Amino acid sequence: MKETRLKILQYITGIGLFFFAGTHLIVSHLSSGEPASWESVSDRAASAGWLTLYLLLLTFGLYHGLHGLRTIILEFSFPNYAVRVLDWALVVIGIAIFGYAAYIPISAF
Amino acid sequence: METEVASSEKPHLPNRLGVKGWVWAGRYTLERYLYTLHRLTGLGLLLYVALHLGANGFRLGGEESWTSAIDFLTNPFGRVVEYLVMAAFAFHALNGGRLILQHLGYTLGKPKPPIYPYVDSMRRRRPLTWVMLAVIVALAIYILVEFVT
Amino acid sequence: MQELTFKVQRYTPGQDKEPYLQEFTIPFTEGMTVLDGLIYIKEKVDNTLSFRSSCRMGICGSCGVLVNNFPMLACHTPVEELKTDRIEVKSLPNFPIIRDLVASLDLLFEKHKSIKPYIISSDIREAEEPTAEYVQSREELESYVQFAYCVKCGLCMAACPTVATDALFLGPQPLGQVYRYCTDRRDMGAKERFHEADSPHGVWLCHLAGACSEACPKGVDPALAIQLLKRAMVFDSMRLAKKRQPVTLAHLPVESKPKIEVPEFTVK
Ligand code: HEM
Ligand code: FES
Repeated sequence: MKETRLKILQYITGIGLFFFAGTHLIVSHLSSGEPASWESVSDRAASAGWLTLYLLLLTFGLYHGLHGLRTIILEFSFPNYAVRVLDWALVVIGIAIFGYAAYIPISAF
Repeated sequence: METEVASSEKPHLPNRLGVKGWVWAGRYTLERYLYTLHRLTGLGLLLYVALHLGANGFRLGGEESWTSAIDFLTNPFGRVVEYLVMAAFAFHALNGGRLILQHLGYTLGKPKPPIYPYVDSMRRRRPLTWVMLAVIVALAIYILVEFVT
Repeated sequence: MQELTFKVQRYTPGQDKEPYLQEFTIPFTEGMTVLDGLIYIKEKVDNTLSFRSSCRMGICGSCGVLVNNFPMLACHTPVEELKTDRIEVKSLPNFPIIRDLVASLDLLFEKHKSIKPYIISSDIREAEEPTAEYVQSREELESYVQFAYCVKCGLCMAACPTVATDALFLGPQPLGQVYRYCTDRRDMGAKERFHEADSPHGVWLCHLAGACSEACPKGVDPALAIQLLKRAMVFDSMRLAKKRQPVTLAHLPVESKPKIEVPEFTVK
């Protein structure tokens, strides 16, 4: 039941994002002070807790977003014989974005 | 089976509504509109995430490059986008929670023998959905107030 | 209401490039349905108008059309219920047009067939030559009977936003029927049908827009059936599903009640 398992992951990453992205958004857009200043950013970059949160957020967000995109692409009568190609393309795109985006906080840690 | 189905459309006009059928909810009611909004906010958030990750690249250039990038983004238009992202997230997150519950059959009740006038499960449970919407609107207003002050 | 303005879709493949609307003005009579209006037009005004109907009482599912932008059974829709004297009738969207208001439902029937819409019994011999009756409790019956009221009219498929773009998507009617059969205790075919519903164009392209259940003229609530199917598939894929006992058989009492006396035939 491949599609069912992929969708279960969509739900789990959704619930994860609720907390991870929620925290991230509240801290960086609703808190007082200057959350986007170089000092604040550097402060957070030095903390293992924030690094973990960022990496989880990135993983969950990428899976959830790209699986959502896959659903939408499939709905354009996407032919079954090409679904494997689509899946691999999305996996490659996901890993590439992960590599780039994870490098930034890791290199600053 | 798939090829057969697709080819049976060929002799005539397929008459599919197309993407207009996603966006235009017409005379259908609440959940049909939430479907459109969920898709729209999902795609919007994904686009924002992509731009956001791109902008993070300025970190690699050191303090000066980062600060100038942030300065460039700090303007009324940037604020509006920021607010829209927050509001879209509030909607997508809470409505997503509803979808997860209902996709798994929770809060929908049991099947009932159809007796006229028919009421489907989602309309029976619609008050719950209105409560969810009220929370979303309250959140969106709260965030707006926080943003303005 | 004295008169009604019917705007009816006309289209002849090979002749017209696009469907167009033709206007008819017809008298209103109390209690008339949209189908009555169409029949009036065909009988008295323009006999080239094509539409499909049979039972004219919401049983056969032949007369599905789009009335004022909402999929409905023409025979099941009193004109008064529309609360307007301007009535636009088009063929069901998401189905190919054969002519005028006649949509080809082949697509629906093919997909319906593909999910094996019949009881798959674990005991073929018992199914073919029954020695006893299946026992079913009221709850067991009610778990699927609502979904068994489907008349295959295609209104849900016309309402579904995913069907609007995806020719390969199974759609609300077949998916609802997957659940109808899988949850029936006489049936042992859940695995096969889950496999069909697990395809990339299967149950997970349903996003619970709820339009199918709003459009359904029989109160079948396909959206509910599909969500319950998702639940069953999620539980099954995580191996959390309860193992279901095969249905029990009730052997008929060997000694039956004394027969009622049949009166003599009056005609010999
Ligand atoms: C906050 C927590 C979130 C929850 C609970 C959540 C939940 C969901 C659920 C349940 C779906 C499936 C909808 C369906 O199949 O009908 C979905 C779809 C989607 N989500 Fe999220 N989501 C969240 C955050 C996000 C974020 C941050 C993004 C951006 C990256 C995102 C992007 C998408 C996209 C693109 C879809 C596909 C939309 C569609 O198929 O119509 N989601 N979300
Ligand atoms: S004519 Fe049979 S359902 Fe309308």
